Amino acid sequence: MELILGDVPWIVVLIILPLTGGMACFLFPAISKSLGLLTSLAVVACVWGLGWQLEEEGAQRYAIGGWGAPLGIDLYADGLSLLMLVVAALVGLGISVYSCGYFSPDKANHFWPLWLFLCGALNALFLSSDIFNLYVTLELLGLTAVALVALADGAEALTSAMRYLLISLLGSLFYLLGVAFLYHSFGSLDIAILAQRAEPSPAVWAAVGLISTGLLLKTALFPMHFWLPAAHACAPTPVSALLSALVVKASFYILLRMWLEIFPMVGTSFAQLLGLLGAAAVLWGGIQALRQTRLKLLIAYSTVSQLGYLFLAFPLGTSLAWKGALYMLLSHAMAKAAMFMAAGNILVLGGHDRIAELSSITQRLPLTLTAFTLAGISIMGLPPSGGFIAKWLLLQASIESGQWWWGIILILGGLLAAAYVFKVIGHVFTQDEPTRQAGTLPTTMEWSALVLALVAVLLGLFTSWPLAIMEIGSPFGTGHSG
Amino acid sequence: MERSRWLLPLLLMLCLGLGYTVLSMPEPVEGLPEMLVDNMEVAGVSNPVTAVLLNFRGYDTLLEMGVLLVALLGVWSLGGIPDYRESSPGLVLDIMSRQLVPVLILVAGYLLWVGADAPGGAFQAGSLLGAAGVLLLLCGWRIGNRCSGLPLRFLLILGLGMFVVAGTGLLLIGGEFLQYPSPVARELILMIEAAATLSIGATLAAMFLGSLPGGADK
Repeated sequence: MELILGDVPWIVVLIILPLTGGMACFLFPAISKSLGLLTSLAVVACVWGLGWQLEEEGAQRYAIGGWGAPLGIDLYADGLSLLMLVVAALVGLGISVYSCGYFSPDKANHFWPLWLFLCGALNALFLSSDIFNLYVTLELLGLTAVALVALADGAEALTSAMRYLLISLLGSLFYLLGVAFLYHSFGSLDIAILAQRAEPSPAVWAAVGLISTGLLLKTALFPMHFWLPAAHACAPTPVSALLSALVVKASFYILLRMWLEIFPMVGTSFAQLLGLLGAAAVLWGGIQALRQTRLKLLIAYSTVSQLGYLFLAFPLGTSLAWKGALYMLLSHAMAKAAMFMAAGNILVLGGHDRIAELSSITQRLPLTLTAFTLAGISIMGLPPSGGFIAKWLLLQASIESGQWWWGIILILGGLLAAAYVFKVIGHVFTQDEPTRQAGTLPTTMEWSALVLALVAVLLGLFTSWPLAIMEIGSPFGTGHSG
Repeated sequence: MERSRWLLPLLLMLCLGLGYTVLSMPEPVEGLPEMLVDNMEVAGVSNPVTAVLLNFRGYDTLLEMGVLLVALLGVWSLGGIPDYRESSPGLVLDIMSRQLVPVLILVAGYLLWVGADAPGGAFQAGSLLGAAGVLLLLCGWRIGNRCSGLPLRFLLILGLGMFVVAGTGLLLIGGEFLQYPSPVARELILMIEAAATLSIGATLAAMFLGSLPGGADK
């Protein structure tokens, strides 16, 4: 048994399985729901298989076609990739379960193939070790994401999808131009080889600027977040969860990977700039979220705010800070997916998501509101939750490196988050006549939100496991790995 | 107004910066092209572009086929535009399309075949097939109801599917993913390219039509 499991190249299976699932859903729309669920489950199993392999043997490199870099394309998996794969697989499974009850048959036919292709693009992105191949995965990811946003009816959704498409393309092109500069200067596209050859020159500076700009545009770091709230709020609920939890994190992952491996020689001033933008995002996103009158927009602005935390690790630059940022990414993915699903439930049952009129609906959805509250605990960073651990790690890193002022941002951000979460939860406790409107919700939709929110909270109790994953292959070590 | 005042200096700065970088760049670091030449004997084809696209970096092309399919899925998910029905095509267009379409198909086949040794290949041949499809659609031809379901869908995924099947098959017989054994590399590449050509042509023509075929169409 062990022999068979150990021999299977899970790293490849993880990429071709969702693509095959997507094609099967496209061929047989009638059974796309079961095919989609099955694929999501299988992806979780494959991630487990890869995790097992990595734990036994350490970081893994796989040469597609047997050529090997620089001639061919290599796949590379270490703790960082594995953590992202775990997040994508778990949130993906939750979203698949939720979507079973959400879409009408007509929309479902379009949703499932697109979602499975998106899943494949995410896995391919997290496993790639080639900067041009990363561009191709970004294209696949961006295109599926845009198509999924456009699944929502209405002119508003189409407009925001169109804007999302243009921004996404602009970001990709900036990235591609940067890749061209790097290839011209060093004659390779493989990250590991670039890491050995990279040295400062005007071309590298231009590449750093272009690649960072492109990826920040896609990650929606303040002040380039302008496209995010509309796109994330207008999309169908499972898609909103998908975008906020996973898609924006993909471009962050590429940036992090390049920063750790190819750009370590970049001076601290650029890192300080990223940190400042992150801090501004935390505060601005929080304030904007507080000002919203619609629930989904509030959650979308909360994403802008929470993404800011990820960039606080750049000026700190220590291993502890990176772990804090990744822990934030992990818990935010779970919590934000749960929050969007909860908002979706309210929207489906109540027909609107105006925060001021929530009282009458919320009392009919105890499970959903529990999910929202639990997710809120993690977003605020209250103990015991994943958000708390993440902020604790970041705080510790900021004090250890003597840059205590980033800690203030963490606390202010937490206060703002508490304010906007309680703005919603407060409605549960008001005395209001429950709405008599008949209507039921599939139980899967309520439970998937609750389970994801529970995971976000439990991440505060079981910290050793995610932290151990991050250690595999020591992606944050001083020496280059792989 | 305010936005455009911001945008112009920003773009100018970007252009200046990029211009300076491009002019100050040293000669490109060679190395990869030589490595490519050294490996051409085992690539299975003698056209370096095809060798890179289908063999050395075939995985990129596999994902690109996915991008193409997803683009069509995106177009279909929008619900489509109402099918416009012009009056029947004039005599000139009708006769011309009857003459042109077979030629286009023939040239597409030639480009596909010659791609192994000279400029050409699946993407060029596929665009020609797509052009033939667009011409037919403009003349009022619509795919029959019998073929617009599973057969059409099968044709659309054929390119990506063949790639995945070939890659997985090679994996199962003991090689790496997409590792073509040298003696049959040429045949495998031709097979994948032929499937990709059909898919690309069908996808482009379907994208031109805009909406999901079937239903009211004849």
